[in-house]
Amino acid sequence: MSTNRLRGAPIDWPKHRAAALFVLPALVIYCLFVIYPLASSLWGSLFEWRGFRMRGFVGLDNFARLFVEPSWTKLSGAFTHNVFWFFGIMVLQNGLGLIFAYLLFLRGRGTAFLQSVFFFPAVLSPVIVGALWRLLLTPDGAVESLLHSLGLLEGRLTILGDSTWALWVLIAVDAWNWMGLPVLIFTAGLRQIQPEVFEAARLDGAGNGRILWSIALPQLVPSISSLTTLTFINTFNQFDLVYVMQGVQGNPNFATDTLVTYFFRLAFGAEGAVGITDIGLALALGTLLFLLLTVVTIGLLRFFERRTVRL
Amino acid sequence: MTNLDVAQRIRQLPGWIVLALWALVVAVPLYILIVSCFKTTAEIYGDKFGLPTSWTLDNFANAWTQAQFARYMWNSFAVTGGAVILTLVVSAMAAFPLSRYQLGWSSPVLAFFLAGVMLPIRLASVELFTLMKTLDLLDSRLGLIFVYSAIRIPFAVFILANFMRVLPKELEEAARLDGAKEWRILFRIILPTIKPAVAIVAIFTAIAVWNDFFFPLIFIFDDDYKTVPLAITTFIGQFRTDWGMVVAALAISMMPVLVMYLLLARQIREGVGATGGLK
Repeated sequence: MSTNRLRGAPIDWPKHRAAALFVLPALVIYCLFVIYPLASSLWGSLFEWRGFRMRGFVGLDNFARLFVEPSWTKLSGAFTHNVFWFFGIMVLQNGLGLIFAYLLFLRGRGTAFLQSVFFFPAVLSPVIVGALWRLLLTPDGAVESLLHSLGLLEGRLTILGDSTWALWVLIAVDAWNWMGLPVLIFTAGLRQIQPEVFEAARLDGAGNGRILWSIALPQLVPSISSLTTLTFINTFNQFDLVYVMQGVQGNPNFATDTLVTYFFRLAFGAEGAVGITDIGLALALGTLLFLLLTVVTIGLLRFFERRTVRL
Repeated sequence: MTNLDVAQRIRQLPGWIVLALWALVVAVPLYILIVSCFKTTAEIYGDKFGLPTSWTLDNFANAWTQAQFARYMWNSFAVTGGAVILTLVVSAMAAFPLSRYQLGWSSPVLAFFLAGVMLPIRLASVELFTLMKTLDLLDSRLGLIFVYSAIRIPFAVFILANFMRVLPKELEEAARLDGAKEWRILFRIILPTIKPAVAIVAIFTAIAVWNDFFFPLIFIFDDDYKTVPLAITTFIGQFRTDWGMVVAALAISMMPVLVMYLLLARQIREGVGATGGLK
């Protein structure tokens, strides 16, 4: 627009109007159903709420209430579970995924079929995945029979009801669900590395493990970056698997509770024995989670940006 | 085959075993799900891994009629189809001028859209619920279509704009000189040339919408409007002992995605490799 003016050309109003009309529908839908609710949720966290009705301005009161009992136990528990979930997925899903991707990469392009098999669970709904594994893992289910016949277990399989194991079972199911993602992203990343780099290392006598660690990994930083960021966002938004497999309370005894299931209970009235809705608390939790997600995501992207090897 | 080849094969063997093991870990649960659909509930409890002694379609029939899966499938198809079409049309319209006109204001608008790719919209569900109530869009397929489109628009605009930007200018100049309208240029010339991008957006939107149960969970109360994933969550509790019907319901609900995956596995793999994800 400004360059046009400098050249003395008149502003092409019809063009701008046409462009605006084209952009408008998408912009209106996006603003109305995403930006507006998000912005008013952030703003609303500073107010007192009676049910779904907004009352007076209370500043940071809702936030303060989050950090005292009875909320504090739930909040810190859920946060800890999300942190475990993040690191569990980083190791179980992304670590194993890197190894699978490297093995597929070394075996060349005839491995598309295996890649498709590995990725298939990722197109399934977490509801289907959760329900399927819940059936497989019930006492007297398929996993129990398998462990019995392998002699690894006697008696009933009760890990989903066991507060030390349930969370890790969910993390493993989540990794099963999304394993194809790191495999695809890492294979795509490995194929972008120049073949000469691998040949030179091989001529120097480096083994496959060493090549992966010292040659490939430093060049895979962009892949690692996007996977770490995606994993962070997804694990801190974790809700579906918990809801389907363990219920909205994160059974047993809140052992699988996450920040979003806690948020959901506060917002939609399933917290506590009588089902209390506490919108103020829910919005404060949502705002904190929003800030956490934004700050850490930007931080992660910056961190990896500086470590990207440029050729 | 020389000795070197043989040695090479043998050295690759452990790796192949690892890969085959994971393929089994993926395939066996799905295999159990599929064969269980054709067994009676008694047999599902008895023999988990074998093929059915007598194949039965009763489970499908029960799920389809007794549990009303026909209705839930229709709701899911309507919502998914509607969301894919709405997302594609409005995103293509927005991406077109933003990527191909000299406007001076397109970068900030694109950045504003792009920010939406990462926004945790679930955290806004309280205010979204109030909004839907005000607009009378609770218990409504149309309401779900709007919300899903709003969530998928950022990704769609981003992908479509990136593909449109690199097209040669001559593509539409000739048509414009012939007096073609802008919407005609977009839908008749630009979009057909970027079919791969349109396909990626359509596939990813369809999968994300088909699979979601969070928004139906908070917006849908009437059984008439439930989508498949939401129906399943209520279903597992309700028919917990009737495993035959539950597995049949799971199998039915994954069928459309399975068919799509068998047809489009390569596009989906390449799309994920290039754009970074489905979620």
